[in-house]
Amino acid sequence: MSLRITRAIEDIAVATCQAAFPEEGCGLLIGPIPEDFDRPGRTLEVDEARPLPNGWDASAKTNRYLIDPKILARVEGELSGTGRGVVGFFHSHPQVPAWPSPFDLTMAMPCCSYWIIEIRDGKMKDSRSWQRTEDGRSFVEEEIVLEG
Amino acid sequence: MSIEIRLPTALRAFADKQERISVEAKTVGEALDQLFSKHDRLRQQLMSADGKLRSFVNVYVNDDDARDKQGLATIVKEGDTILIVPAIAGGSATAEAELTKAELARYDRHLIMPEVGPEGQKKLKNASVLCVGAGGLGSPLALYLAAAGVGRIGIVDFDTVDESNLQRQIIHDTQSVGTSKLVSAKKRLLALNPFISVETHEMRLTSANAVELFSKYDVIADGTDNFATRYLVNDACVLTGKPNAYGSIFRFEGQLAVFGLKDGPCYRCLYPEPPPPGLVPSCSEAGVLGVLPGVIGTMQAIEALKLILGIGRPLSGRLMLYDALEQSWRTLKVKKNPACPVCSEHPTITAPIDYEAFCGLKEKTVTIPEISVNDLKKKLDAKENFVLLDVREPHEYEIAKITGSTLIPLGKLPERFTEVDKSAKVIVHCKMGGRSAKAVQFLIEKGYDATNVTGGINAWSESIDPSVPQY
Repeated sequence: MSLRITRAIEDIAVATCQAAFPEEGCGLLIGPIPEDFDRPGRTLEVDEARPLPNGWDASAKTNRYLIDPKILARVEGELSGTGRGVVGFFHSHPQVPAWPSPFDLTMAMPCCSYWIIEIRDGKMKDSRSWQRTEDGRSFVEEEIVLEG
Repeated sequence: MSIEIRLPTALRAFADKQERISVEAKTVGEALDQLFSKHDRLRQQLMSADGKLRSFVNVYVNDDDARDKQGLATIVKEGDTILIVPAIAGGSATAEAELTKAELARYDRHLIMPEVGPEGQKKLKNASVLCVGAGGLGSPLALYLAAAGVGRIGIVDFDTVDESNLQRQIIHDTQSVGTSKLVSAKKRLLALNPFISVETHEMRLTSANAVELFSKYDVIADGTDNFATRYLVNDACVLTGKPNAYGSIFRFEGQLAVFGLKDGPCYRCLYPEPPPPGLVPSCSEAGVLGVLPGVIGTMQAIEALKLILGIGRPLSGRLMLYDALEQSWRTLKVKKNPACPVCSEHPTITAPIDYEAFCGLKEKTVTIPEISVNDLKKKLDAKENFVLLDVREPHEYEIAKITGSTLIPLGKLPERFTEVDKSAKVIVHCKMGGRSAKAVQFLIEKGYDATNVTGGINAWSESIDPSVPQY
């Protein structure tokens, strides 16, 4: 099971999260929708990272992120019928390990990859990707494969 | 009605990989029911066990959020599109944020003390304190909490900075006079420490909002200046299980305590009832030494830090009294009241009450006895024994008067009311009945038997004696 990304995609996501520090950065991961998207351990090819503003209110952006559903709906509309879709999300944990929090779990969608980037003192320290189980009770870590 | 439902990428796997699904429905709820009846795995993803849409599921009808319309009851018509869009959110809230290098440098004098250390400083960073009021006590309190590195400081206030505040409210400055206290305080706190977050709540703390607000913070610090809010803060702290680092000031004296700890007393254990309204003047009436809130507010900050760090002995079960003129501190023991209406095992108050009424601050509604001009005429004709009091101004009296009346203008009544025979029935009139109603209320409070003439001399002119001019 893996999340396959290019170095250029990693650079975009990491730069977004470093720039957002000490707040959380976030964005969409876009790519072809796999046939077995809902299978635990499927492989996901991401061909685009699209940074988005953290839509959470100013009070808690250091430990919360929100992607505006209107923006998500617009991007899904753009991709409609192309075989590509929003297949995952990235966000940062400033000064906190890249493990999903209970809140991450409560809010997570199935199938998708949740790529969490740990930022320490403004720099990436670690990054891990997770897929939620269908029953919504846990996340399973997946390998991040850097290509190109 | 044929309605199209569109699914986001993440959910299509649960609907045979379809992006668009047509259903026949009249409302959003019907459409979703149909969708779920065909695709049960989708229902499990989007609906909670009690049959409600999960909180992160947004439903749009064309471009409008269904919640802004009638929710699931929103009517849909032929050709409408229903979009299901998840709110993608998350974050690291539950894991404790580590200290950054810049923070390690800033808090060095804390870190080298074993009682605080990196672990304690991390506790401060991940803690939250709500300051009730950005005034005399709130100023040093919030400043020291910010400097000490309390990660989230909330302030609730609704006032603007007045020049007369600056003698003691050192979080504000001359430039901020006339602007919001919250804006001024937040600016100052973030200038002092950019590593913290400051949440401002511009509102009057009320029974309706206190419990919800308090539940978002670890410690509440009461820096209010009135009894109604003080009882509200106390009760809401007990109800939410939050400790209250309490302080209060008056002229040259201050009080300090921690209320609401599990085994400790609350403010009501100490003072079950507020003093009668008006008995204890406020700082704006009686004055306060400018430095005094600096002493007490700073002590509140110390108690708040101790509570967060879990060090020392909290000032619970004790009330400290400070006298600036004597430069003395006294500590009184305060016991938990086993019959306390809020914090005992069998409380009678289980939700915030009406504190204005509890503290006697609501204007009492007094029914003003009224008499019509016709009945007044009958009494005059029958030569009944009463005083007819006119509370208009002398120049009005020149224009028109009812024969036999006594003139005492309303403004002069408080000093001249004793001229009126207390044993007699008093009937009061003015031009239209407004001023005389106030006079009647005043006289009743002074023990008189007073009645108001409905409609005043104008009604008299209208119905009884047209020769009296109307003006």
